[in-house]
Amino acid sequence: MIRIIFSTLILSASIFAANAQEANAILQKMDEIMFSAKDISATQKIILIDKNGNEEVREATMLQKGTDMRMFRFTSPASQAGISVLSLPDDIMYLYLPAFGKERRIASSSKNQNFAGTDFSYDDLESKSFAAKYTAKLLKTESNAFILELIPKTPSDYSKIIINVNKTNYYPEKMEYYDKGNNKIKEATYNFKKLGKYWNTELVEMINFKKNHKTQMIMSDVKYDTGLTDDEFTVRKLKQ
Amino acid sequence: MKRFFVHTIVILITSITINLKFGYAQTDDNKLKLSGTFTTDQRLLLKDDNDWAWNETRLSLKLDKKVTDNSKFHSDIWLRNIGLPNVLMSSDLYNKGIVDPYNLEIREAYVHVIGFVSDKMDLTIGRQRIVWGTADKLNPTDNLNPLDMEDILDFGRRRGSDALNLKYYLNNDYSMQAVFLPFFQPANLPAGIFANSLNPEMSFPEGLTIVGLSDTVLMPDYNLKKSSTAAFKFKGYAGGTDFSISYVWGIDGLPFNTRNELIPVTNPIVGIHVNSEVSFFRNHIIGADIATGIGGMGFWAEAALYLPTEDIHTITDMSAIIPNMIQDQAVLDKNKPYLKYIIGGDYFLPDGSYFNLQYMHGFVHERGSENLNDYFFMQYEKGFLNEKLKVAPIGGGFIVSDWKQLSNNYALVYMPSIKYQSSVNSDITLFTVLFDGKGENMFAKLKNFNMFILKFSYSF
Repeated sequence: MIRIIFSTLILSASIFAANAQEANAILQKMDEIMFSAKDISATQKIILIDKNGNEEVREATMLQKGTDMRMFRFTSPASQAGISVLSLPDDIMYLYLPAFGKERRIASSSKNQNFAGTDFSYDDLESKSFAAKYTAKLLKTESNAFILELIPKTPSDYSKIIINVNKTNYYPEKMEYYDKGNNKIKEATYNFKKLGKYWNTELVEMINFKKNHKTQMIMSDVKYDTGLTDDEFTVRKLKQ
Repeated sequence: MKRFFVHTIVILITSITINLKFGYAQTDDNKLKLSGTFTTDQRLLLKDDNDWAWNETRLSLKLDKKVTDNSKFHSDIWLRNIGLPNVLMSSDLYNKGIVDPYNLEIREAYVHVIGFVSDKMDLTIGRQRIVWGTADKLNPTDNLNPLDMEDILDFGRRRGSDALNLKYYLNNDYSMQAVFLPFFQPANLPAGIFANSLNPEMSFPEGLTIVGLSDTVLMPDYNLKKSSTAAFKFKGYAGGTDFSISYVWGIDGLPFNTRNELIPVTNPIVGIHVNSEVSFFRNHIIGADIATGIGGMGFWAEAALYLPTEDIHTITDMSAIIPNMIQDQAVLDKNKPYLKYIIGGDYFLPDGSYFNLQYMHGFVHERGSENLNDYFFMQYEKGFLNEKLKVAPIGGGFIVSDWKQLSNNYALVYMPSIKYQSSVNSDITLFTVLFDGKGENMFAKLKNFNMFILKFSYSF
């Protein structure tokens, strides 16, 4: 009897380990798809849609290098133009508000705040691979997608994220964000399109269920591997 | 020394010319961009007949132009109607500046050159705001630009200075900055109903009635030695903390009362006329600041040690009334540096509301260790309607000018506000400002000026 229990435990542990291994491998593959280019520069159209369907349009430029450097800068409307966020390795994020004339490091308590009225938090905009931020568990495999549960490795407002990863191409199709009370608070859906040799996030739509509000981010003028250097991702550049 | 400056200026001009000439590449980005903000700021007192306390209509025009691939021009010009008609005589009605007061102000106008001489160095030349310090709005180390105290409720506002500003980036984490301001620009003092808020109480022997006041401002000589300011700053990031140390050799933009002469007058009434002199003095200022995150909270601390370069006295000459009666009162001792500092933090609560608390020792106009008051500022703000509506039910400060006699030396400022984003580029803000207090401090003097404020702004 003891032998059976022992064997069952070993088997369960092995299955669990294999599951985790497979889940993490899927997540890493997803990261490779999302961060496959050496660098990206693009224009983003951001549409804020309230519960009555009223739209507010904003525009921004985005530069990204590798998995952990991103510069995001609003170009319109006039009230937001110049507001910029720089995301660097080791969870470092800077915010630049032109009205104050100086940069400010974003405190970790504010990373869960919505960025400039969008439904994306500073944390969502952070440039960091999912495998580095979350531990993955494979919940199930559907005909077209792997369903993973992601648990944050460091303190976060999210208790978990349920993510659908395309089974063929490994890009994310949907992410469901849950709060500490296990309530689904946000949902992001992704439209990917192949652009040259890379899968490009053409559209991301984030729905905030608490606020009954959604934000669409539409990428255009996407350029890959233009040779962006680390100098583009500095506080010096943030203020320019 | 003179030759050194001439050589330096020639080298700078040559280098700028080379940078601008060889970096040029005409594209659509080189077009002149116009943006700006229209703001109207209306305030009325809450007592009696609700007298109008402030009227300002401001057009802030920003012009930006990419000059070359590595340089840009930026300017910020304020065109304003400010104040109420101040018509005293019929001839004033012919003067539009009195009937409808207006002014034009170049807040900033500079060229910023990236990669000046070295790839790692930037130069900014022209009228510019050089913001130092990590604290929120109230920065003891922010001493390069002259104070703009016109609206004392707009804490931390400073004007631009004509300056040469060189910044050398050692890497992404460390930089050095050297700033040179060739001439001195004094602070401008509070306007309108705030005009007397900074004036100290004048005390004279009993029985003397002041029937007239006049003063003379002794400005420093306008030459490089007497009126220039030089400053240096080293900024870095280590162990999760942003920090900087700085040094300023500059003239305090607020003057000191250095001499009062009391002259008896008998016509039309018996009393004294006071002739005063005010002068500006130079300081060495050593500053340091840090900003970091502790337990999810943003935390900052900033301090500036002021070292006067000479002893400052107020001489009161009453010899015209009482023979040989001359009082000499020490105001600042060059051997007694004084420290101003601020400590603060902010936090976003789980419900998205924002909390900010700061403790400051020494407001911008206070000098000398025994004259520095304690200030506690607090703000709590919560957003609604997807952040379109922001309500700050808690906002303001508590000021103590003497802890030993607190009941007679304090001030309270309560500034709740509601801000509504009426469209993507416009917002409207309603404030109420309530003052109370006793004793010798700026905010206690404003207790008769409780007011309601309406601001509307539109960006384009």
